[in-house]
Amino acid sequence: MIRGSAQVESVASEPRIGVYVCRCGGNISDVIDTEKVAETIKLVPGVRVSKVHSFMCSEPGQAMIAEDIKKEQLNRVVVASCSPFLHELTFRVAVRRGGLNPYLYEHVNIREQGSWAHHGDPEGATVKAIRLVAAAVHRLYHAEPLEQIRLPSHRRALVIGGGIAGLKAAVDLAAKGVGVVLVEREPELGGRVLGLARLFPTDDSGRAQIDRLVREVCNNPNIEVLTGTVIKGVSGFLGNYDIAVGPALAAGAAGVDVGGAKDKKLSVGAIIVATGHDYYRPSLGEYGFKRYTQVVTMPEFIDLLAGASGDGIQWNGQRIHRIGFMHCVGSRQIEGIHPPQGDGKVNDYCSRVCCTTVLHQAVHAKRRFPNLAVFDFHQDIRTYGRLHEDYYRRASEAGVIFFRFHGDDPPLVEEGVDGFPIQVRLKDWLTWGEEVVVPLDLLVLAVGMVARDNRELVNLLKLPTGADRFFQEVHPKLRPVETSVNGILLAGSAQAPMTIEETLASASAAASKAACLLAHDSVELEPFKARVDADKCIGCGLCFPECAYEGALVRTSVEREGKTVTLAKVNPGLCVGCGACVPVCPTRAIDLQGWTLNQFEAMVDGLLSAPLPSKEVTSESSSHGQTH
Amino acid sequence: MAHVVNTDLVDDLKTLGARQIEACFNCGNCTAVCPLSKDDVAFPRRIIRYVQTGMKDRLCGSIEPWLCYYCGQCSETCPRNAKPGELMMAARRYLIGAYDWTGIGRRLYLDSRVELGAVLGLAAIVVVLFVLFAGPMTTELTAEGGVKLNTFAPARVIELLDWGMGGLLAVLLLSNVWRMHRWIMRREPGLKVPLGAYIRGLATLFTHFFTQKQWLGCKGAGERITATKWFKHFCIFAGYVTMFVLIVVFLRWFQTDAVHPIWHPQRWVGYIATGALLYGVGSALVARWQKRHESHKHSHPSDWIFLVLLLLTTVSGILVHLFRINGLAYATYVTYVIHMAVLVPMLVVEVPFSKWAHLAYRPIALYLQRVQQQARETQARTANLQPQPVQS
Repeated sequence: MIRGSAQVESVASEPRIGVYVCRCGGNISDVIDTEKVAETIKLVPGVRVSKVHSFMCSEPGQAMIAEDIKKEQLNRVVVASCSPFLHELTFRVAVRRGGLNPYLYEHVNIREQGSWAHHGDPEGATVKAIRLVAAAVHRLYHAEPLEQIRLPSHRRALVIGGGIAGLKAAVDLAAKGVGVVLVEREPELGGRVLGLARLFPTDDSGRAQIDRLVREVCNNPNIEVLTGTVIKGVSGFLGNYDIAVGPALAAGAAGVDVGGAKDKKLSVGAIIVATGHDYYRPSLGEYGFKRYTQVVTMPEFIDLLAGASGDGIQWNGQRIHRIGFMHCVGSRQIEGIHPPQGDGKVNDYCSRVCCTTVLHQAVHAKRRFPNLAVFDFHQDIRTYGRLHEDYYRRASEAGVIFFRFHGDDPPLVEEGVDGFPIQVRLKDWLTWGEEVVVPLDLLVLAVGMVARDNRELVNLLKLPTGADRFFQEVHPKLRPVETSVNGILLAGSAQAPMTIEETLASASAAASKAACLLAHDSVELEPFKARVDADKCIGCGLCFPECAYEGALVRTSVEREGKTVTLAKVNPGLCVGCGACVPVCPTRAIDLQGWTLNQFEAMVDGLLSAPLPSKEVTSESSSHGQTH
Repeated sequence: MAHVVNTDLVDDLKTLGARQIEACFNCGNCTAVCPLSKDDVAFPRRIIRYVQTGMKDRLCGSIEPWLCYYCGQCSETCPRNAKPGELMMAARRYLIGAYDWTGIGRRLYLDSRVELGAVLGLAAIVVVLFVLFAGPMTTELTAEGGVKLNTFAPARVIELLDWGMGGLLAVLLLSNVWRMHRWIMRREPGLKVPLGAYIRGLATLFTHFFTQKQWLGCKGAGERITATKWFKHFCIFAGYVTMFVLIVVFLRWFQTDAVHPIWHPQRWVGYIATGALLYGVGSALVARWQKRHESHKHSHPSDWIFLVLLLLTTVSGILVHLFRINGLAYATYVTYVIHMAVLVPMLVVEVPFSKWAHLAYRPIALYLQRVQQQARETQARTANLQPQPVQS
């Protein structure tokens, strides 16, 4: 983390700017003439040093920058290299090593937005790079040293959901010394996993798994468990959330034991959302569901198999000899083929766990009852996880017979003949599209996972959801358990369909992330927040309706010329720095630190006044539409 | 017509030698790697699928099992170790049983004890017949010092019995071939086959019957092995056919009391043919014993019975000859009875009901494939269309 340095820059002092152009080992320099960029940019006023390096992010590259700052008395630095996502932080640290405030630094992306995007046009890309660097230099004329915002925070986290994800997150957080409040709507902890008699790949029961975690949770004095409780209100920001909870007793659910849950206020620094999923509920008649009693869902079958006695599986008093498993029920739906869900969209995603679940159950059923004939109807077999493929192999070896259908031509379930109650009819693509009929005693629908209908919670937390209705992370790779709301994290299948292993990994990740955020008694935020110049503010109030973040702009009363006036003030904990308030201010009293209007204007100036290498290049690049 | 899946067929095929065929997940590597599989007749995957889903009609109408010569590449490359090659082998056994309308073939294949019992029973009958009806066992020798075998077992009587048995077996085999033909032709109901196609295809029939040259298409990693295996098999085939012709058609010329000089064709033709048989059968037995090549790793009891009967027939035949020309009368008579007691069950059990039948079914499958191709071409020409391969 960057800490405020003792260095104080005089804004008025003459800018002495260092420009550093990275070749990125050819990634940039194979297209862009980096030497020419460095040479040309020297013509921009204020540029004292302009250098090229093969890998600016390497230790020698960083050391060069830090050294130049001291030797050449630089007071601003530009690095033109890759995306700031990758190395902005790297160079801020390098600049601080040189004794400079890290916000007197500007990062220019000439790789993703330069050499990679324009590899067919080296001259144009070079001109674009020069213009972008010139804009950055101009922006830095108006840069001021900034400090990170430090806010006091509660070293305590709220975990919503007492299923396996919530339990795991709570245990991990408590182990790192962070206090936890675990809130569960149901009277009992454990969630969906309690209903799973046999888990892959360990073959132990869901209850055994949950019991272990519940024991850890209950024995930990750092964890407060509130069952039969729901979230009633959320306000605040990272480090300072105020939560209201209350009994889960819903209207009409009289008689439900809430276990002594009562209304309560909590103060926490971070929130982990571990609210889990629902199973897809097939519509009436979908694969014969509810039309034939012999069509059941996977959770029902898991119970049935677990409860079966030694002499076979019984369903409705009938002995089962032939079982079919239907994959992708409620998953990988196709618009126009499958009826839309409540929100008008189909579930086009893959639920990921059903394939392995089917094969795991099939193998188990075959092992217990070797004379059982088992049939599997799939679009694809997606046994993607560690050891999952083993179940596929073992199911095959045990004699499970597989059929493959196309998603746009799903199998039909009809009344059976010859003593079989039902039969499945499909075009089998493993047999070159031939129509086959499979008589069955029981058809198991491998229902997928769907997002819970959690509208109230979504509204309270203001969390974004994806097209699949699950909670959405900021970035699937770079920030996989964080939401766009600072301090709210995701754990488990509230985010997407996942296996128990993945759920536990995700819960641990969310717990670690929360523990990092709450590692100290305070949290540090980037300084890019709105700022009100109280002298210029006339209290017109135009900015308030623009602000989308409740509490980010507050009214404050000040004495001015003997009168009390109401002015706008920014709460930096809640301001996200979106800048929506800036353009409506008639007096330019409100501005964004680090991204001021002056700086934007200067960047435009920089783009337009950039010195270009030669006429020849300019004219050519114009013809390519590269000029701005 | 939708096909109703049943699960019995896979059990049958497993009894017939298919191994972990359930493990197949239909990836198609076997078909891709098979040097003989073509677009219009793609195998082994197709046959595996018929077996997995219990499509008996489709399997019975398939020529694919007869186009496979078991190079073993499919089994070696199978990612699930499902042994497609062994399945094709089992499918051939299944088809031999299925073509046979008497149901005997199926019984013999499904239970090897029945096959062994049939062999021993027939042998016993032969011995009893000799005991009851054989001529006097004279120790008097011919002028050249040979045994008077024709006094004990006159060639003209044996010849008549030969023809009687041959006729019966031919009727059985040909009726099975007719069923095979009908089933294969039923696979393409819309195809009209003109008589000309049957006649023009005869060249294919004879070529493949006499040369087994299709086998040489088993190219790939083991080209040299293929050629060696083909040569050994050809030795068995050529030796066998030669001896068969000598015994059935020229018995009076072949089974003589006179001891001919060494350059006489009766002797050197016989020596070459039996030598080839001995070499072919012997090396086949050794290979199955050693289990080095994929195709020799999993022998079915019927494979052993066939080879052992052939070997015993050959060896006993050679001994009869040696004893006869050296004037060992009793030894000649005893080995002759043994020879017949092995030869008769070998023919009766194997020709229409068991492994021997592939001598007929393989070339006929290739013949019918050729006939179908020509019929398709004719049909396409009359419809003024280019010939199109059937959907694979």
